[in-house]
Amino acid sequence: MQEQAFRFGRARHLVGIAGLPPPVAPEAVGVIVLNAGLVHRIGPFRLHVEMTRRLNACGYPTLRFDLSTIGDSAASGESQTRKQQICADVGDAMKLLGEQAACKRFVLIGLCSGSQCAHMVACSDPSVAGAVFLDGYAYRTLGYHLRYYLPRLLDMKRWLRMLSRRRKAQAGGSEPAFTVAPLPQAVVRADLAGMLDRGLKLCLIYSGGISRYFNHARQFRECFGGIVSRPGVSTRFLKEADHTYILTGDRNRLLDSVERWLFDNFPVTTGGAP
Amino acid sequence: MSTRNEAELPFFFGPDQGLFGLFHASAKPARKAVLLCPPLGQDQIRCHRLYRQLAQALAAEGVAVLRFDYYGTGDSAGDSVELDWQRCVADTVVAANELRARAGVDRVLAFGARLGGSVALVAAAQARFAGIVAWDPVLDGRAYVMHLDAMQSALCRDGQRFMVPRDAADAAAQWLGFAISDRFRQQIMALHVERPTVPTLLLDSLSSDAPQPWGSFVADAAAVRCMQPPTPWHDPRRLEVAILSHPLIQAVTQHVQEAA
Repeated sequence: MQEQAFRFGRARHLVGIAGLPPPVAPEAVGVIVLNAGLVHRIGPFRLHVEMTRRLNACGYPTLRFDLSTIGDSAASGESQTRKQQICADVGDAMKLLGEQAACKRFVLIGLCSGSQCAHMVACSDPSVAGAVFLDGYAYRTLGYHLRYYLPRLLDMKRWLRMLSRRRKAQAGGSEPAFTVAPLPQAVVRADLAGMLDRGLKLCLIYSGGISRYFNHARQFRECFGGIVSRPGVSTRFLKEADHTYILTGDRNRLLDSVERWLFDNFPVTTGGAP
Repeated sequence: MSTRNEAELPFFFGPDQGLFGLFHASAKPARKAVLLCPPLGQDQIRCHRLYRQLAQALAAEGVAVLRFDYYGTGDSAGDSVELDWQRCVADTVVAANELRARAGVDRVLAFGARLGGSVALVAAAQARFAGIVAWDPVLDGRAYVMHLDAMQSALCRDGQRFMVPRDAADAAAQWLGFAISDRFRQQIMALHVERPTVPTLLLDSLSSDAPQPWGSFVADAAAVRCMQPPTPWHDPRRLEVAILSHPLIQAVTQHVQEAA
């Protein structure tokens, strides 16, 4: 299958690569992969290339693209908030993939800040049928603190290692950090409930790489309550993996999980179209 | 905004249309063009922004530019594990000719960082480069392999990255996030870049406490330009931090403008 490169968008300011497996049916679900942080559309260690090509092989049309001002995409020139820009950019991406693959419903996949972007769009865009949040919103809970501190309190070696690490971190602590303030927990919980009420399917896959604020599969429930038990939600904690899936084995396990979730929730019908 | 955006065209080219390229048309009729040869592995991702900025700076000065990805890298076809040194060199030749055709000029210079500089130097004759700017090129493949192996080994024990230390087996046959074949490893081990046969500017931003390997490589000391501050190519804490350098962009743009 040949991928195609596109310049597109309302100001023709966006750059993306579409994978268009034949044949495509009108009911097909298109998969759109959003930037992880400031890494361009290929993703950390080419994660997004591997992901889209695997999904293409399963029959899903895909688009990996750069949001405004990231990677090879330019600014749109409009006076908009970042949220408006992101929603409009993803809208442009859905329009393009809809034109190329004749699909009307979409699944958004995002890692880290990409997950926040996917969340933002999934809250309001009726074309979004599902979302995969990789290391998305999470909050330190009582359970988190117990799991984090109890073993350390009882282990002197850990105390020493922790103090040593803290000194090192302080020594190298002059690097500027660019982070996005997370939404309040109650807002995210309400957003997720709203998405499920609208019939969206959600997949939350978190890694051990965010152990500063998430350290156990139970924490999904601790953060989001009964929402995670609803039929439209799937959760998975890949404890051994790091945040950007630097090891190929971890990456493959992640891709297996995403592929399986898509098959279960947006199955490929006859003719290779989902 | 749209007109400026249209000047940057993403497309596929080469054998089976498998190579991804992004052509930067020049702001005025081009008399020369520059092929930007990307580094490999994580360096390619770290340098993406800088390559784009460099391409835009050159295009604004009337130089047509092509950025591209080798087979098995970036958006080009192929799995990462299929990366092959000879294929990188062959892709560079194809890309140089693609640039000539799109820019309508025969005179093509090349720029490359780290292994991208090495590829440009090795491909110089076949690609008919009129000149090369190589930024901290890798000249001694064996030392480079040892360095990558050491970083990969240290990765498993990185407590900032992993909740629990990983087995060496989990990190085998990979370099910093990318699967590598034994063939590619041997190719890099055997890499020895000969003294350039075309005018070459070597930009040196390696750490001053590391022994510089340029001695026998360039006959003319004027062809080496030291740059400060050192580029943190090998700092594991910055493995996923972009490499940006305005002095580098200025140096390359100025050199290309002055190149006869």
